[in-house]
Amino acid sequence: MLRLLATIRKEWLLLLRDRTGLTLLFAMPVVLITVMALIEDAPFRDYQELKFDILTVDNDGGRLGKYIKEGLGQTSQFKVIDSVQGAPVTEQKARALVNEGNYQICIIIPKGATGAIVSNANKIVNDISSRMGMPEHVLPVSNRKDSLHVTVYFDPAAKKAFKSAIHQALDNFLTQVETDMLLERIKQQLKRKDAGDENDSMNIQLKAVGLKEQLTGPSQELDVISNSVQHNVPAWSIFAMFFIVIPIAGNMIREREDGSMLRMKLIPGSYLAILAGKMLFFVGVCVVQFYLMMQVGIYLLPLLGLPQLTLGQSFLAAFIVAIGIGLAATSYGILVGTVFKTPNQALNFGAISIVILSAIGGIWIPLEIMPPHMQLIGHLSPLSWGLDAINDIYLRNVGVSHIWGDVGKLVVFATVLLCIAAGIEKRRLS
Amino acid sequence: MTSMLVQDLHKTYKGALEPSLKGLSFSFPEGSIVGLLGPNGAGKTTTISILCGLVKADAGQVQIFDQQQHTANREAIKKLIGVVPQQIALFPHLTAIENLEYFGNLYGLKGKPLRSLIDRYLQAFGLEKAGHKQVHHYSGGMKRRTNIIAAILHQPRLLILDEPTAGVDVQSRTMILQFLREYNQQGVSIVYTSHLLDEAQTICSEVVIIDEGKAVVQGGTQELIARHDDCRNLEDVFLHYTGHALRD
Repeated sequence: MLRLLATIRKEWLLLLRDRTGLTLLFAMPVVLITVMALIEDAPFRDYQELKFDILTVDNDGGRLGKYIKEGLGQTSQFKVIDSVQGAPVTEQKARALVNEGNYQICIIIPKGATGAIVSNANKIVNDISSRMGMPEHVLPVSNRKDSLHVTVYFDPAAKKAFKSAIHQALDNFLTQVETDMLLERIKQQLKRKDAGDENDSMNIQLKAVGLKEQLTGPSQELDVISNSVQHNVPAWSIFAMFFIVIPIAGNMIREREDGSMLRMKLIPGSYLAILAGKMLFFVGVCVVQFYLMMQVGIYLLPLLGLPQLTLGQSFLAAFIVAIGIGLAATSYGILVGTVFKTPNQALNFGAISIVILSAIGGIWIPLEIMPPHMQLIGHLSPLSWGLDAINDIYLRNVGVSHIWGDVGKLVVFATVLLCIAAGIEKRRLS
Repeated sequence: MTSMLVQDLHKTYKGALEPSLKGLSFSFPEGSIVGLLGPNGAGKTTTISILCGLVKADAGQVQIFDQQQHTANREAIKKLIGVVPQQIALFPHLTAIENLEYFGNLYGLKGKPLRSLIDRYLQAFGLEKAGHKQVHHYSGGMKRRTNIIAAILHQPRLLILDEPTAGVDVQSRTMILQFLREYNQQGVSIVYTSHLLDEAQTICSEVVIIDEGKAVVQGGTQELIARHDDCRNLEDVFLHYTGHALRD
C-alpha cells in the first residue's frame, strides 16, 4: 500500500510541476469540446429546428395559395417570402434567386390551382350525390383536362434529406386543402338535402386516430434529444481522455531513459504495485477530465447558445463508465510507453492511433450513419464502447445494470494491453 | 564470509552474435572494495545486471553473502544490495527530498525515521541546503551525490556503483570517494566499476579485470601492480591484461 500511495503522490507532484502538461490535459479538451459542439451544431439540428426562408410565387391568388402560405408561416420551420425589395416575386426572379443560392427553396403555385381542386371536389360530391339519389343539386365542374402542379425549385446544393422533408411538408398541405374542400362540399350538399331541419348541425371530424410520441427508456421524466451537445460533449470527452496516452507513454519512456525505472525495479517488492499506483493516478486524472468536460456541457455551452447537456439519472453508472474508459486509456498509454523507445515515436503513434480509433469509433460522426461494414469495425474501438455506454446513460436513462457489457469490454481491453506490455518488458529484460 | 561469489556465468542476449559472458568467475570477501574493471563491451554491465537480479544468466551461479541467487530469493538479495546506476536515476522535476522520500517509501521506509535518514545523508553529502531544490537545477556533482544517497537509504550490506564519479568535478569526486571509504569502514562491501583507473587504484582493495566476458585476472590492487615489473600502476596492469587494441 505504501508503494502505491507513494507512487500516486510522486505522479501528483510531477503533474503539478508540469504546468504545460497540466494545461494540455485540462484546458485543451475544454477548447476542443466547445469548438466541436459549436461547429457540429447546425448539422445536428433537425430541419424542423432550423428556419428557412421560402420564396412563394402565388399565381393562383386563391384558397390553395393562401392555405399554403398560412400553413408554412404557422410552422417554426419556414418563413414565407413573397416579395423581394418591395416588389412581388415573379417565377423567373424566384428561380434566379434560388439558382444563385440566395434562397434554398421556391414554391410556384400555378394559376387556377384552387379552381382545379374545387372542381375535383365538386366532381366527387356530384358522383356521390348521384349514387345516393340526390341528382337535383349538381355542383359546377370545370372541363379542364390538363393537370396542374405546384412547382418547387431547390438550391442545387440542397441535401437530399432536406428536399425530402420539403416534399413531404408540401404534400401534406395539398392533401389537407383537398380534403378540407371535399369535406366542405359534402357538408354543403348534405345541408341542402336537410334544408328543413334547422337544428341539424353537422360536425365531420376526419382524424379519428392521431400520433403520440412516447419515450422508451425506464424513466419517462426526461425528454432528451440527440443534439450537438449531447453527442459532442461525451464523444470528445472520451477522445480527450484517451489522449492521456501521450503523457503516460512519455512519462514511461522518460523513466526508462533517465534510469528511474531501473531504480524502481532494483528495489525489492513488486513493480506491479508501482504500476498500479501510476494507473490509479492517471485513471483519476481521466475521471476528473470527464467531469470537467460534463461541466462544460452543462454550464459553458448554454452560454454560447447551445443546448444544455443532460446527464441522465444514474450518476453511479456514468462514474463507473468514466473509470472504465480511464482504465482502457491508461493501459493503452502504458503499452505505447512500453513498445516505443523514444517520446517522438510514442507521440506520433499515440496521437494518430487515437484519432483513427475515434474516427472509426463514432466520435466524429455517430456510428449509426456509417456504412454497415464501418459500423462493424467501429464497434471494435474502445472509444465506441465508452460512447455507447454514456449514450445509454444520458439518452436512454439506463442504470448500472445496463452498462456492464461495455464496461466489461473496456476492462478486458485494459487487461489484455497490460499483459502484452508485461510480456514485452519481460522480453526486453531477457 | 564471502560477500560475493560468481561462478561460471554465461549470458547471450537474444539476437546477439557473441555471448556477453563466457564463464565469468570471481569472488571477494565481505568488507572489501572491489574494482570491477574492463574495457568497453567486456561484460561489466551485464554482470552488474545479473548481480542485481535484473537479468537472468543462461548458466552459472551467483551467491551474495549466504544467499544463492535464484528466482525464489531474488527479492531477498535485492534487500542486501544497493545499486548506484551510471545514469542519474532520479526524477528531475522532484526535489532531492521528494526523490529520496519516494525511493525510501518503495523500500518500505516512512515517517520520521526516513526523514532523519534523508537529513543525515544530505548533510553527509553537502546537500542539506539544496534538498528542496528540484534535481534538474543541480550540478552534475550534486546529482551524482543524490544518486548515491538513493541507493543506500535501506542500509545495504553490498553497494554496487557503476561509474559513480563520471562527469563530476574534483571536489565532488573527492567527497564521493571519501564517503565510500568511510562507508566501507562500517562493514559494507563495495563493488565499483570505473574507467578512471587512478581512482580505482586509490580506493579499491581488490580488482577483477574482465575482458570478452571472462575474468582475466583477480587480486589485491597493490599485489597485481607488484606482480609485473613493467607495471607501475593499475592502468599498466589493465593494459597488460587487456592489450592496446581498440574495442567496439
